[in-house]
Amino acid sequence: MSNKICIAFAVASGISLHAQALNHKIDFPKDSPVSLLSEDFGNSNATARGANLIDVNAALSLRNSGQKRIRSMTLMVSTQDAAGKGSVSVPTLDAGPGETFSIHISTRLVRPLTAGNPVVEVTLDGVLFDDLSFYGPDVLHSQRNMIRWELEAQRDRKYFKTLLAAGGPNGGIEGLRKEMLSSLARQGDSSQRGVQMVRGRATNIDAEPESQFAFLDIPESPVEASNGRARIGASLAGAPQFEVRNRSNRPVRHLEVAWIVKDQQGREFLAASMPADMTLAPNQSGPVAQDAALRFDRPISIQSMSGFVSSVEFADGSQWIPSRGALDQTRLRQLVNPSPEEQRLSQIYTKKGIQALIEELRKF
Amino acid sequence: MSREAMSRHVMETDLALYAAGDLPLWRGVVVKFHVRGCAECRALVEALRLDRQELRRSADDMPAGLSKDFDWDQLAAEMTANIRVGLAAGECVTPRERKITSVSWRPMAIAAGLVVLLAGAWWLNIPRTDTETIGRALRNIATGKRGGTPQEERDPVVGASSAGVVLVENGGQIRIDQGGLEPVMYSVSTQGSASARYVDQDTGQVTITATYVQ
Repeated sequence: MSNKICIAFAVASGISLHAQALNHKIDFPKDSPVSLLSEDFGNSNATARGANLIDVNAALSLRNSGQKRIRSMTLMVSTQDAAGKGSVSVPTLDAGPGETFSIHISTRLVRPLTAGNPVVEVTLDGVLFDDLSFYGPDVLHSQRNMIRWELEAQRDRKYFKTLLAAGGPNGGIEGLRKEMLSSLARQGDSSQRGVQMVRGRATNIDAEPESQFAFLDIPESPVEASNGRARIGASLAGAPQFEVRNRSNRPVRHLEVAWIVKDQQGREFLAASMPADMTLAPNQSGPVAQDAALRFDRPISIQSMSGFVSSVEFADGSQWIPSRGALDQTRLRQLVNPSPEEQRLSQIYTKKGIQALIEELRKF
Repeated sequence: MSREAMSRHVMETDLALYAAGDLPLWRGVVVKFHVRGCAECRALVEALRLDRQELRRSADDMPAGLSKDFDWDQLAAEMTANIRVGLAAGECVTPRERKITSVSWRPMAIAAGLVVLLAGAWWLNIPRTDTETIGRALRNIATGKRGGTPQEERDPVVGASSAGVVLVENGGQIRIDQGGLEPVMYSVSTQGSASARYVDQDTGQVTITATYVQ
């Protein structure tokens, strides 16, 4: 009898764990400035375990087949019937015409069991060039992020080069070294928390009390935010609302506000970003309300909240981001994440030393 | 009627019914005709009629409670009930024999095997998130808690943590973890996206993964 049970168990296990090779499709447009040199989906597979578990582990080797230098690129990963979409971006590229680079994708998708083998699609969402021109369908609205990454990269490289060129105790090689050490220390101090964002009005946040929150004013910001309020519950904050005023002389079409949360111990951290698509003429004001709630994965007692305008996109597609001078305000410096380029440069300093960093800066 | 037929007497039960006037019409005519020609049967009918009259007189002499309208069915039911009560009482006072049931190891082994098989099948086939959701729902039922959780989870949820980014929507899920690496930073946005940033330790190249609500 026990032998029969063992056999049944082994058969059930064998059927259940039968992993199929993954069907995949890489689809780049014919006029794409990036071409696929090789692909390796070696460890990718699809397993039926109550649902289709699709593990995508791929390495793509790509070549810049266009005429401009590529600064960043975003690939979209999706499959039929799976929830939403995923993306993998490389924001710190510097690939000249004809040069090659690689992208690694490690994604797990879960979709309902359906007939037939699942097919994973990897498509090009966008490529940003060094002149801030863009190529791609931009299904995920990645162009905005990619332009911001490049503007931050230009700002930070300029800052580090200026520091290197400056004399005195805070300038030159020693000044750059100090700045790198300071950056690495801030990156290490970052008190991040796992967080979930629930969209829609179905959350029970409406029953929670409303609390005001203040905005840190950045004088150079083209948009001023005020009169912020949100509902706060146990390890939960949501339904944020605030007002914005365009104090520049250019129409605005998109802005992002960083949402800062302070716990009972007085620790502040960047909890989420609040993007808003809205048209604001010069000197025009308008309300922003978000149907979403922020849920922390560990218990937290929220003492207060604050925010600041972290980026603004004008009607012509150009963007404003805070300058290094504005970020040097003590509070912002502790809260704002370093740019992807600052992290790349600090990693080069850590791994290869100050001379390698100086050589890297001289490439731009 | 022939002599031979007349000599065949009517059954005594029919004569008793005839005497009481309870025979059906046709049968009653036949018996009457026979009794007229048969002295033996006529004597028996007369005797039965006399007995009947005697019984009626005896009934008239019974106590008032046992009149002719007495409900004999009710009396029979009460007697049956009393007999049953007596039997039940007897069982109560009679010492019982202790039944010793022999426990066989086979059914227990089969049950244990089935439990292991079901647990294994569950572990292999049901995604962990579904198990967690069912566990939460059962806990809520057990504690009688009316949380907003089941309602919330019908809406899309994006999450970012040191394990990467995840989107759960309509029973499907997308999780990006960059091969188990720990992100250097992660965040969510109120428009329904979550992102995580990774830095390659050798080249410094930065990779940003994200999930988006459709």
